[in-house]
Amino acid sequence: MTEADVILYIVVGTALAFDFTNGFHDTANVVATSISTRAMSPRIAVTYAAILNFAGAFISLEVAATVAGDVVVGDVITPTIVFAGLVGAIAWNLTTWYFGLPSSSSHALIGGVVGSAFAAVGSEAILSDGVIGKVLVPAIIAPIVAFIVGGLAIVVCYRVVGRQRPGPVTRGFRLGQVVSGGMLALAHGTNDAQKTMGVIALALIANGSLDNGADPPTWVIVSAATAIALGTYMGGWRIIRTMGTRIIKMDAAQGFSAQGAGSAVILASSHFGYPLSTTQVIAGGVMGAGAAKRVSAVRWGVAGNMVTAWILTFPMAAGIGALTYGVTQIFGNEVVGPVLIFSGGLFLSILAFVRRARAPMPV
Amino acid sequence: MSLLAQVVDWSALGQTVVAALLSGVGVAFTFSLGILGVARFTDGSRELGMLGMVAFGFLALFGMIATVAAIVFGVIVMTSS
Repeated sequence: MTEADVILYIVVGTALAFDFTNGFHDTANVVATSISTRAMSPRIAVTYAAILNFAGAFISLEVAATVAGDVVVGDVITPTIVFAGLVGAIAWNLTTWYFGLPSSSSHALIGGVVGSAFAAVGSEAILSDGVIGKVLVPAIIAPIVAFIVGGLAIVVCYRVVGRQRPGPVTRGFRLGQVVSGGMLALAHGTNDAQKTMGVIALALIANGSLDNGADPPTWVIVSAATAIALGTYMGGWRIIRTMGTRIIKMDAAQGFSAQGAGSAVILASSHFGYPLSTTQVIAGGVMGAGAAKRVSAVRWGVAGNMVTAWILTFPMAAGIGALTYGVTQIFGNEVVGPVLIFSGGLFLSILAFVRRARAPMPV
Repeated sequence: MSLLAQVVDWSALGQTVVAALLSGVGVAFTFSLGILGVARFTDGSRELGMLGMVAFGFLALFGMIATVAAIVFGVIVMTSS
């Protein structure tokens, strides 16, 4: 086994760990509205989302192609750069998860890779056109579109069923949430699992194991799908609380509209290869569905905290990615730094999950 | 602005926005029609005549079929990329 192979294995392991954290960090957003409106119990909602996340990962490869080819210059990227970027993303993900802030795993990932590439090679490693045109601009537009779609959808729902008895209407929209929540989970798998596939593809290209521009191999698709589904199943209860109740108290029609808006925006974006943040999009849909009914129903303070977390995500993940790359170079060897950081991260993760396993889980 | 015009594929972004608007609001509309049909069909058996029952039954059926069709169409479009 060569040094390059060791680095590649570490990168793949770290990428799958990121995918796993993405699952429990982001998919809380997917199931929160279903749980909040009691359309599904937490356990069923999370299991259902995990299965559809897994299925969604197989639908398209457009987003993976964007992450692998439109963010950084593949020819100058090394597996160590990818590794440092992943560490930046995971560190920021875990920080925001700890504080219960639904920030963007996607922007953390892309920010981390951009930061480490900048630290290693300089600005010539960054494909600024791709970063601006395919990541940053869609990142601004998507939540706004989800806000509008969520708002219009709930207005339409209330207009059509407004005069009916609440009982059958609520039951109907709860049933609808089973479908809209499933579509959102599918959309999440489609967009988010592909980012990990893109990063692993980038590492394989850097290692010389994959041609530039080629699709990720099947084992990459299957392992990314499995990691995000497992992460989803583990659940992210802190963020479920924030998304489900702290932004706005929702009725079933609002939950249906918010989830429908989120899945419509994410699926349409995945089709064109835009690596969106599911967190931002579903939060936009939730706020739109809430504000259309009553502007004061939305807890704008909580929403403001989320916006702050989102603004910080890209630069913070980039900073940590750059710092991690610097640390890997201290040892004067391409293998020792990543091995030490990976081992330390693994140890801390095991500690965190042992502590979490002791905590009671909602049913 | 010229930089944004150069690096952003506004056509693809515009199509994304239109597709999201049409599918998100469209599915909410058709599903609401389905709920309206079911609610009136099940609640109004005494006050609605046979014609009304049939009409709301059809509305329920149309709403549900249109919703499922829209979702299936969306997934087919996704898998075709």
